[in-house]
Amino acid sequence: FMKYFNVLTGNRVIDNLDLEPILADFKLHLTKKNVAPDIADKIVQSIGTGLEGKKLATFQGVTSVVKQQMEDTITRILTPKRNIDILREVQAVKGKRPYTIVFSGVNGVGKSTNLAKVCYWLTANGYKCMLAACDTFRSGAIEQLKTHADRLNVHLFERGYSKDAASVAQDAIAFAKDTGYDVVLIDTTGRMQNNEPLMKALSKLVNQNNVDLVLFVGEALVGNDGVDQLTKFDKSLSLLANTTQTHIRTIDGIILTKFDTIDDKVGAAISMVYSTGHPIIFLGTGQNYTDLKRMNIKSVVKSLLH
Amino acid sequence: MVLADLGNQLSSALRSLNETTIVNEDTINQLLKEVGNALSKSDVSMSLIIQMRKNIKEKVKLDQMAAGLNKRKIIKQVVFDELIRLLDPGVPLWKPTKGKSNVVMFVGLQGAGKTTSVTKLAYFYKKKGFSTAIVCADTFRAGAFDQVRHNAAKAKIHYYGSETEKDPVVVARTGVDIFKKDGTEIIIVDTSGRHKQDSELFEEMKQIETAVKPDNCIFVMDSSIGQAAYEQATAFRSSVKVGSIIITKMDGNSMGGGAISAVAATNTPIIFIGTGEHLTDLELFDPSTFVSKLLGYGDMKGMLEK
Ligand SMILES: Nc1nc2c(ncn2[C@@H]2O[C@H](COP(=O)(O)OP(=O)(O)OP(=O)(O)O)[C@@H](O)[C@H]2O)c(=O)[nH]1
Ligand SMILES: Nc1nc2c(ncn2[C@@H]2O[C@H](COP(=O)(O)OP(=O)(O)OP(=O)(O)O)[C@@H](O)[C@H]2O)c(=O)[nH]1
Ligand SMILES: [Mg+2]
Ligand SMILES: [Mg+2]
Repeated sequence: FMKYFNVLTGNRVIDNLDLEPILADFKLHLTKKNVAPDIADKIVQSIGTGLEGKKLATFQGVTSVVKQQMEDTITRILTPKRNIDILREVQAVKGKRPYTIVFSGVNGVGKSTNLAKVCYWLTANGYKCMLAACDTFRSGAIEQLKTHADRLNVHLFERGYSKDAASVAQDAIAFAKDTGYDVVLIDTTGRMQNNEPLMKALSKLVNQNNVDLVLFVGEALVGNDGVDQLTKFDKSLSLLANTTQTHIRTIDGIILTKFDTIDDKVGAAISMVYSTGHPIIFLGTGQNYTDLKRMNIKSVVKSLLH
Repeated sequence: MVLADLGNQLSSALRSLNETTIVNEDTINQLLKEVGNALSKSDVSMSLIIQMRKNIKEKVKLDQMAAGLNKRKIIKQVVFDELIRLLDPGVPLWKPTKGKSNVVMFVGLQGAGKTTSVTKLAYFYKKKGFSTAIVCADTFRAGAFDQVRHNAAKAKIHYYGSETEKDPVVVARTGVDIFKKDGTEIIIVDTSGRHKQDSELFEEMKQIETAVKPDNCIFVMDSSIGQAAYEQATAFRSSVKVGSIIITKMDGNSMGGGAISAVAATNTPIIFIGTGEHLTDLELFDPSTFVSKLLGYGDMKGMLEK
């Protein structure tokens, strides 16, 4: 990786010829770390454009300049433009109405498990949570949530299988309001981003109930498909949106799960954030309730560039 | 899906070979770059791609080619052979034997689609006239047994599991013994999701294998997986005797290259692909049909014969 290091030193101007092989190396490196190739390409290109024509300081190799630039660029990509402080948002509406969070994503990524982890975290912060079983499709989904509810000692709102998910969510929120819950955590069915009827159904659930926070749950294992998933979930939320609303509904944030299964192949984090600008709010790092972490940008950048 | 897009990209790379006037080192490098790009966009493992490019380069030694030989044709044939090597390990597909008990054990990463595929496979063999049963040896995941119970009931398939026994090895052994005694022909053992980073979970998997002595061990992989696929597949293969692969969620948009890399990593054939959440969404997979479909989509065969 460092083979170009110190090859070119001295007080001279960086030209394209210097950059090209180094950038190609960096692109390969990023792709190996599971950054989607298209995005790896864009990142190295923007770095190239930024550096071409710049003067090298004495004793500085082009590779080390590129590496520094890469570190800065990726740190910037991963630094959230909009801070989402869930605890503050929950606190702001506490006592007036329940705060509502939807967990969405494709099949098997960890929506239900990480919903339970978020419940554990909110409960530990003193909020009264309720789970809403709006995956009325997948076998065992309700029992899975029931198991978590029992373990976490919280209430599960359910209406059984084959029910309209949006209506179950509506009833759950109404019930939570009457009963004085602070937060409703809404589990949804996994769906493929190219399945239009199912994507519409999700949009209906979100828009009809005007939920406070829509989280996209994606797994760190995902390859090129991750970007497609996220952009399609994003887009689909504006389907069936209430046209009188001032802002178009999108995904608010990402939970990136199974972070414990990828070693240093952390690229999915970069692909997802780069392509949508949505912040990664939590990392899922295991199958227990405490395996929910804030992303440490520095260590992700380190894994990526190592 | 993987076939159409990958096929198109590959054949376009090969087509550009026809458009150049002279075939030299640069032409080949350009071709290899394009083939590599196409494969990396479908999540094929980068180390495999690098290896493949090396193999092709070694086989195509321009300076050693006798004059008058059709260089283009030779180059295409070499690329083509390498692609086939990637897709087809040349190992015969496992088939159950009628009239005796065949034990099949499912393993794979969390959320890959094991439990869903277990029922699909049981149903597939049931339709073929085998007596089939499912053993739920996932005692970890919340609602796992309920998921099996619902699925098995829908498919009218016998099942065994335990509400109280927490040791999956015991459950697996007990279940398999019960069904062996009554002469069930296909006994499918579902296990918890696990990953190579957790050695205890891998140890447990080995113990289940020892307890039930499977005739075939099926590794289930999600088609959207990226660069982590190769290492995970290798780790499963070196812990238990994986004999077949099922690639799931092929109804999504992903290209499946990560999962295909698992074929190369484990030298194991893909036996089925999952194409949806329903009982019948399982398609038999035959590598040679797959390869010829790839040819068909991308019209590579036509290109080759030119
Ligand atoms: N290693 C690891 N496993 C996880 C993590 N999060 C979830 N899982 C596992 O992933 C599997 C699927 O999790 P679920 O929560 O059921 O996923 P889901 O998205 O709700 O699945 P569907 O509802 O079927 O679409 C389970 O085995 C979880 O234990 C994580 O951060 N790390
Ligand atoms: N669209 C689609 N979904 C699938 C397919 N196969 C499985 N799924 C879905 O993927 C999710 C996870 O499937 P499971 O069968 O629970 O996965 P698993 O490997 O048993 O998960 P763990 O036991 O938690 O490790 C569920 O929502 C399934 O319905 C498929 O071929 N297509
Ligand atoms: Mg779920
Ligand atoms: Mg399972």
